[in-house]
Amino acid sequence: MIDWLFSPLIDFGFMRRALVAGLALSLVAPPLGVFLTLRGMSLVGDAMAHAVLPGVAVGFLLAGFSLPAMSFGGLIAGLLVAGLAGSVSRLTGHREDSAIASFYLISLAAGVMLISMRGSSVDLTHVLFGSILAVDSTALWLIVSVSSLTLIVLAAIFRILVVECLDPLFLRGQGIRGGAVHGLFLGLMVLNLTAGFQTLGTLMAVGLMMLPATAARFWSKRLEGLMGLAIAIGMISSVGGLLLSYHAGLPSGPCIILLAGIIYLFSALFGRYHSVFARWRRRVQPMLPPDAHG
Amino acid sequence: MDEPNTLLTLESLSLAQGNRMVLEGIDGHFEAGTITALVGANGAGKSTLVQGIMGELRPVSGRVDCRVPNARRAWLPQQLALDLTFPMSVEELVMSGCWPTHGSFKRYGPTEYRRGQAVMQRLGLQAFEHRPLGELSGGQRQRALLGRTLMQEAQLLLLDEPFANVDAATVEVLIEVLQDMAAKGAAIIIVLHDHDQMTRLADRILHLERGHGTWSTPARVGGSPSTAETLA
Repeated sequence: MIDWLFSPLIDFGFMRRALVAGLALSLVAPPLGVFLTLRGMSLVGDAMAHAVLPGVAVGFLLAGFSLPAMSFGGLIAGLLVAGLAGSVSRLTGHREDSAIASFYLISLAAGVMLISMRGSSVDLTHVLFGSILAVDSTALWLIVSVSSLTLIVLAAIFRILVVECLDPLFLRGQGIRGGAVHGLFLGLMVLNLTAGFQTLGTLMAVGLMMLPATAARFWSKRLEGLMGLAIAIGMISSVGGLLLSYHAGLPSGPCIILLAGIIYLFSALFGRYHSVFARWRRRVQPMLPPDAHG
Repeated sequence: MDEPNTLLTLESLSLAQGNRMVLEGIDGHFEAGTITALVGANGAGKSTLVQGIMGELRPVSGRVDCRVPNARRAWLPQQLALDLTFPMSVEELVMSGCWPTHGSFKRYGPTEYRRGQAVMQRLGLQAFEHRPLGELSGGQRQRALLGRTLMQEAQLLLLDEPFANVDAATVEVLIEVLQDMAAKGAAIIIVLHDHDQMTRLADRILHLERGHGTWSTPARVGGSPSTAETLA
């Protein structure tokens, strides 16, 4: 068993790099996912994951499989979509999620079109689904740097995010405009999606953000608990999925996300709060007779 | 000319929601230590006025002159405006009232936690201090929100129907705390519907009707709102 767990990591450099990349992403993506779920923006993460595609495509067309170029392109595209959606929402009064949905679809179509015009279906598959086992030193540095930066910024704006999630008016009453905080948060999300696309692909990078976060909600009612559990689930999924992928000869990205998905399903069935089992167990208790109250 | 203890002045204030003019030519002075009830039928513009005072709405004409710094302005929204599924405990909500002094970075110290405990004790919240907001009754939640305001040491407090969906015991606690805050120099503006609560709590009443405001005292508005004495 120990050999099954550790030998791939000891024997192969690409497995060690993949492990560090997975753990670094698991440290910051799930807490972002927790805030997304709390802000009622679960599907916005998915939309933004699609929105980065044209930027990644432009990076790919200009510099080939260069992670910095593709990540930079993805970041610009993601921020552009977030900014445009926010502007349209403010100017028209429409909800921001509908504006994001519209822009991400335009963005996705543009990205697929760009890659199809100049690349092959293999290239498209690589961008869409990633390859964690192909993470080189440059990619690893980029992922670790993004994770470190995200961790620092998230710590700095943590209290503002919490207050803004619960009661935006309180924050505005203190003279702080929620729009800047919201923009910074969306920026962090886009940054992490672009860092994660090399390992998991643009379509599945959001999985490591959302599945641990949604699974954690079945186990904790406290914010610290949600964050800690989501990180733990993300890390277990990354390490477990990586080893499973190595031993079973399966693609690594889907293994990681499917493992996170299995943990989510288990949590939804047997979690401590609001799960199917918890609801079944919470039967109505008969009232005590008056004299039993003492 | 404003009185020296005037904390908020409205001068010919007109406010609109989109293209629809809601309030026109509202005047008034809000002094330290006074409680003003904001009354009117649904759609009369009570929430619009509160938004205007809080700076959420830009005046179409006229102005809002507030001498209270942002940090000491508190706004107690209707409970429905809050996300009750948010995983926050009563203590965490109350402690978030330290924002004016601690902002986003400064750690809460023993002094703040002791103040928080005292506030929760005063509001009868100590038994629930670790309970998530989503598991509280309407009255307990309203006490917790007022606790945040007490921690904030607010000088200008706006409350939107604070007694709606709240039990009688909580109404008594809230009235007592609000009167105490006013006695310590806060200016309180409170959206109310209940005549009895208005009589007990308010020093003055701003009655909004068809986009215009009329000032009166609780006794007079009880007798005849239409002939209320104009004070401002």
